[in-house]
Amino acid sequence: MQTANVNATGSPTPGGTLRMIGNADVDHLDTAAGYYTTTYTLERAFTRQLYTNPASSDPATSISVVPDVATELPTTANGGVSADGKTYTIHLRPDVMWDTQPARAVTAADFILGFKRLCNPTQNSVGAPGYYIGVIKGMDTYCAAFKNVKPTVADFKAYITGHDISGMKAVNDTTLQIELVKPAADFVNILSLPFSSAAPVEYLQYLPDDANFRQHTISDGPYSITKYVPGQSYLLDKNPAWTQASDPVRHQYVDHIQVTLGPDENAVQQQIAAGTQDMEWDTTVPTATVPQLKASNDARMGIYPNYDTNPFLVINQQSSNNGGALGKVEVRQAIEYAINKVSKGKIYGGPSLNTPLNQIIPPGNVGYEEFNLYPTPNNSGDPAKCKSMLAAAGYPNGFTLIDVYRTSGKHPDIYQSVQADLQACGITVKGVPSKASDYYGKYLSDPTGSKKGTWDISEPGWIPDWYGNNARSVMEPLLDGRTYGPGSTDWSGYNNATVNADIDKALTSTDPAEVQKAMHEADVQAMKDAVIVPFQTQSTPLMRSERVHNAIELPSSVQYDVTQIWLNPTS
Amino acid sequence: MSASELSEVADLPDPAVPQPGVERQVEGRSPWQLAWIRLRRDRVAVVCAAFILLLVLVAILADPLANWIGYNATDQDQVNGITADGLPVGPDAHHLLGTDNLGRDILVRIIFGTRVSLVVGVSAAVAAVLIGVIVGLCAGYLGPVVDSVLARLMDVVLSFPFLLFAIALVTVVGPSELIEILVIAFFSWAAVGRIVRGQTLAIREREYIEAARSLGAGNLRIMVIDVLPNLMAPVIVYVTLLIPVSIVFEATLSYLGVGIIPPTPSWGNMISDAQNFYQVAWWYLVFPGAALVLTTLAFNLLGDSVRDALDPRTERLFAK
Repeated sequence: MQTANVNATGSPTPGGTLRMIGNADVDHLDTAAGYYTTTYTLERAFTRQLYTNPASSDPATSISVVPDVATELPTTANGGVSADGKTYTIHLRPDVMWDTQPARAVTAADFILGFKRLCNPTQNSVGAPGYYIGVIKGMDTYCAAFKNVKPTVADFKAYITGHDISGMKAVNDTTLQIELVKPAADFVNILSLPFSSAAPVEYLQYLPDDANFRQHTISDGPYSITKYVPGQSYLLDKNPAWTQASDPVRHQYVDHIQVTLGPDENAVQQQIAAGTQDMEWDTTVPTATVPQLKASNDARMGIYPNYDTNPFLVINQQSSNNGGALGKVEVRQAIEYAINKVSKGKIYGGPSLNTPLNQIIPPGNVGYEEFNLYPTPNNSGDPAKCKSMLAAAGYPNGFTLIDVYRTSGKHPDIYQSVQADLQACGITVKGVPSKASDYYGKYLSDPTGSKKGTWDISEPGWIPDWYGNNARSVMEPLLDGRTYGPGSTDWSGYNNATVNADIDKALTSTDPAEVQKAMHEADVQAMKDAVIVPFQTQSTPLMRSERVHNAIELPSSVQYDVTQIWLNPTS
Repeated sequence: MSASELSEVADLPDPAVPQPGVERQVEGRSPWQLAWIRLRRDRVAVVCAAFILLLVLVAILADPLANWIGYNATDQDQVNGITADGLPVGPDAHHLLGTDNLGRDILVRIIFGTRVSLVVGVSAAVAAVLIGVIVGLCAGYLGPVVDSVLARLMDVVLSFPFLLFAIALVTVVGPSELIEILVIAFFSWAAVGRIVRGQTLAIREREYIEAARSLGAGNLRIMVIDVLPNLMAPVIVYVTLLIPVSIVFEATLSYLGVGIIPPTPSWGNMISDAQNFYQVAWWYLVFPGAALVLTTLAFNLLGDSVRDALDPRTERLFAK
């Protein structure tokens, strides 16, 4: 596999304008809500968190967590974590500044304000409050009452300033104390999400992420957004209030970052290849053009692992169709054998862009360990085995399954490929097309419909919100059946005591070996129960222009870290 | 037959019409016979008709043809039909017109796409014309009250931004072949209705209609027996011109993902799928595109010829 091409030769030269080009705008500019990887790319330049992922071309380092605004990683030894694992005391660097007039230090209170804005009841509030509610003490009551506040600037300001999250305390400007409901071994990972960014008091003058807010973002990172035309362009300039000494992770090499929005991935590719633009914004190298770039060993293309499982086949165990056939583990196991993983991989560009996966947890995530309970020749499926297992389970003539698929992107191709695989095993697949916006709400995450059998199988994907110690962003959402209900992402309706116990262990244990073991055990159990059929883990092909140096990919944003890049001065 | 029509017939270099120096028997011919003769002599019309006949045969014989070629429309040839990187394979001995990005034979899929295009195109056009004729006839004949209601209805339908509404409707109801036919018919009938209404308004003032009425003929009888046959010429022309429009409409809906549900091939969804691959697989886009262009061209040219044959008095824009 062709891998990173950092282009680290030469010594960093400041100056120049980094030109990024892409298709669409961010989902939200507000850190409380921004959830797209593209948004994370931008947020890397103008926001800071207590902890963050370092920029590194070493895969293991790039998903680790290092201090950002915090001075050190909290441990029981340095007093950062209390003996019971429930109280975190975090010391802040005193020299991190907002680009306000005059520049003002980023304080513990600013971080608390960031958390208080998370569960604001506007339609712009997407984010992931689930990672905070039930983890930080008092977050649940604070958010529950916030729900009933009228969405006006005055009401929000009154509520936010008048109410506290009981578990969060600014001891002084540079000391933040956070109390948890129960120990959370991944808490620093949660604090490294962009949602956990600090927020300046000025943000209380706007409704979260409204048009006015978007024109007045305040930066504590190396760059500030100085000009933003929604849906068209961004201009970022150096933030004069930022100092290299205050930031252990980011740099300020280029003078400006210019983002142009509009063109599709093919046009973007052509511009970067021609050198009129430097970097992709939200698109990737078009799948069909990867083989020729690879064949010519084009140094401007780099391929980076996503650490995802995307897509996979989820089997609705609760479906009442065919007399509840999918509730039988033998039937689901037969389906595991039917799938040709190589043909699924080809849809996403073949072996240079993805690797077949036979377990639920992909590489880069805690609990990852390769195993294969349903081996087929060359991962290409075994229809005969599927057929004989189906017959043994009492379905010698097969049955008909409803496959709900999204009409966008490569989803229709994947559905047709699954359909062909299952056809060979004697299972007829009937497709139900769904708009992307209806897909989860109307089908996968609707327990009533799932029980009724509005769908039997489907091909969603899962991209973890963070990597490394992340039981909370992979196994818990996908397999914990205790909280199954509307909106749940345990789409199959799986609920297994062993798996649930393993998840609890992984979320609280501070012993990395124990977390690893528990997650692997849960993975094996869920695969034995054939909850899902993993297809593959993907990689992303990125393109940069010749003059871009020090292009280090950040797995969290699946894009180069703009705060590391410098440009060839002779270009 | 009026005097002008007689002279028109005499102008034709028809072997059945007396030519200088040749003694021929004078024969009586109906306007339909004359139109048929004109049409047969139009070389473009004959070629187009032959092509359309071929399409119909291909559509009917799609299954045996696919068997003979050796692939089904949904067979995904993982060995010869797709590269390891997931790219389509160009025309070769295994696949005459190449394959798509799932390793399916383009030729076979075009053949099955013919079936979809013709079934949807023809049914939608016929349905649209039926509705249009009935509504137009009623509006034109049944008097000002009925007319103003139905004419406004036609105006309303005509003023819909049809593509937008079609997409919205299909999204709500869910796509299927039948829905597609209904949608296309719904957005096409009003144009026919308007023309029929106009013709009917003119015809109902003719003396022979008055004569029929004074003889005691009822409304229905006059509409069906006396008016309708005189509308047949424009209606036939309209059917032949509506079919290609409906075929393109079908392709558009499928292209937008609100038409035929995959894996059933339709030219529209083939062209849509080919978009991401045109730079590396020209055959994927070119062949289904050519099928669509040739078919609509054939229907359009045939429609033109039919109109010329039925109504030779109409000046053509680029007359010889």
